[in-house]
Amino acid sequence: MATEARRKTGIEDRAALLNLMPRQEEAARRRLAELVESVAAKRPPTTSFSRLWILGSLQAKVTCAYLAYWLRSRWADADERERLKSETHLKAALQLLGTMGYLRGAVMKLGQMLATFPDALPDEFARLLPALHFEAPAMHYAMVREVFLDEFGKEPHELFASFEREAFAAASLGQVHRARLLSGEQVAVKIQYPGIARTIEADLRNLRLLMQPMRLGEDWGNTVVKLAEVERVLLAETDYLAEASFAQTVRDSFTPEEGIVIPRVYPEYSTRRVLTTEHLEGVHLEELLDSAPSQELRDRYTHLMTVATTRMLYRTHWLLADPNPGNYIFMPDGRLGLVDFGCTRELSDEEWQLQVEVEDALLRRDETEMERLIVKASLYDSAEQMGQERLELIGRVIRWQLEPWLSEGIFDFGDEDFFRRGMEAMVEVMRKGFTRGMPVHIWTNRFILGARGVVYRLKGRCDFQEIYRRESGRDGCGMSGAATSK
Amino acid sequence: MRISEQAKQLCRARILEKAAELFAARGFDQTTTRDIALAAGVAAGTMFNYFPSKETMAMTMVNEALARGREEFQTRLDGSEALEEELFLLIGTELRRLRPLRPFLGPVLERSLSTFPRKSVCPEGETARQEHMECVRQVMRRHGFSATPEDVAGTIYWSLYLGILASWTGDQSENQEASRGLIDYAIRTFVQMISGTAQGGDHGH
Ligand SMILES: Nc1ncnc2c1ncn2[C@@H]1O[C@H](COP(=O)(O)OP(=O)(O)OP(=O)(O)O)[C@@H](O)[C@H]1O
Repeated sequence: MATEARRKTGIEDRAALLNLMPRQEEAARRRLAELVESVAAKRPPTTSFSRLWILGSLQAKVTCAYLAYWLRSRWADADERERLKSETHLKAALQLLGTMGYLRGAVMKLGQMLATFPDALPDEFARLLPALHFEAPAMHYAMVREVFLDEFGKEPHELFASFEREAFAAASLGQVHRARLLSGEQVAVKIQYPGIARTIEADLRNLRLLMQPMRLGEDWGNTVVKLAEVERVLLAETDYLAEASFAQTVRDSFTPEEGIVIPRVYPEYSTRRVLTTEHLEGVHLEELLDSAPSQELRDRYTHLMTVATTRMLYRTHWLLADPNPGNYIFMPDGRLGLVDFGCTRELSDEEWQLQVEVEDALLRRDETEMERLIVKASLYDSAEQMGQERLELIGRVIRWQLEPWLSEGIFDFGDEDFFRRGMEAMVEVMRKGFTRGMPVHIWTNRFILGARGVVYRLKGRCDFQEIYRRESGRDGCGMSGAATSK
Repeated sequence: MRISEQAKQLCRARILEKAAELFAARGFDQTTTRDIALAAGVAAGTMFNYFPSKETMAMTMVNEALARGREEFQTRLDGSEALEEELFLLIGTELRRLRPLRPFLGPVLERSLSTFPRKSVCPEGETARQEHMECVRQVMRRHGFSATPEDVAGTIYWSLYLGILASWTGDQSENQEASRGLIDYAIRTFVQMISGTAQGGDHGH
């Protein structure tokens, strides 16, 4: 029932949107590219506006048209000077709205995906990348108060002993404030921008529509499937209660002695849109690096990060799909804090099976089996169909990703040559447009890219194999086989 | 025998109460003045002395709710708010008070606040506009903007405000959260616009 209605409005939206689009395909392509580029390049007039993309929607267009009507009706019997004055205002209004039409929203999302899921989109757009960034608009305190009234029926100062009006961190879907509970604990309160889930849905729908006439090459079908995957995970991220339960599960799988801290959740102060967690004191990567940490400390953190991520992967089959550096908090006593479990992707049994098979083939040095699995993961029927060049390149990326699995002893994630080889292979994949693959690989790639980026900058080392054996519980034949065949 | 002022007030309140119930249960358009008179237990003629039309009834409820909202708004201010925030709180507080009437508000506002010229103008609609705009002007003056009843800024503001009301009235999202973004956006657009004209004000921080 509900989905039927949803589908209906979807069709209407689509019709409305298509009406806005130029008819001729080739012209549409070019015009769209120009539009996208110009909107992306445009610097909005003030900083507060730059984060307002989200609101630029069809509603804004409607408001705008309405405004035009209103002013025109006023001019009917006004004198010329009045008319010009009004016209100036109207122009100013139109300019403002124009910088933030629904296109801008879609563009921003496009940018986010380009920045973080390079393989989800064609490289035609790659040059737009630096101009774009995904962030929810900032909320002023008045907005925060209204959200609290909706969520708790209380104002922040009624709910907490104290509450900082200014956010201390931006989140992708909202912002984070410091507060203190009546019982004295310092907490971090993450607040979601109202209505952002719907905006994501609408934007992704628009994005698909916008891209449709371009029919980007043979892998278009695969791109559509991936966009659906992205949508699913992004929408899951909008439910903070789901995030809270993920966080709790992860928290339960670590003991305090291990030095890995997952902040506890305060459910009485949390809803789908507000998440209150224990505030972790510490610094982010940049600040840690500025303090010139010892190699010992770098190695320690690298060890802890590896333990944390491998444990999640092998015990719960979870990928931290959004491994941004801000989610690691380096605590003063050498402990590692991990926040943000909103963007967590659970591997399906089938996906997990493939992961296990790849690891096994790799550790047995079974090249034939490796090839078969690479072909399978790229959604081809045979090596011939996949083509030699693609097979070689994708294989290079996968082998690079799994290199630590094959290395005995201390692995140096800060090694420049290692890092560069991986990056070069991935850039090549994108340049060639070899992006076809299982949707889950958006997240594996993102996960590995994000995590490797952090430990590379940290110039950290750890005994990866030892951690892998312990966390996966697979210390048997595979490893010894690998060792002897060396 | 003359009816006491108190009895009058009670009767008026009863009519409004019954009208609100019927509007909410059946919809505004499906409710007739007859139905309301019957439910309130007054003669149609008597009711007419209180309210000439059901639009008037509905808009009276709207105006009362908005007025309560504005009173509450004043108590929520602590003086540290920027212009955007103050306008956001004003509208937010008003709408919260208006929420119970939301189920039947669409046709009421459309008719009473429409900018299209109409034969019979509902005076309560004009009251709604004037009272809200007076409050907005006070807010603007507090932030150093001059605001006169007939200026373009006021006109633009009102058109944005109507857009907000229209969106909020039909908003299917939980707590009308989708409209929150629109309110934020509309207010920022407005403030940006009036700050852009060389009128002064406390913008620029
Ligand atoms: N409990 C906490 N203690 C300290 N800092 C926190 C805490 N929770 C969140 N933060 C800070 O706020 C930032 C944003 O929070 P979080 O990552 O949970 O939001 P998000 O919406 O998932 O954002 P993003 O996707 O951009 O990481 C974090 O990077 C971190 O710096």
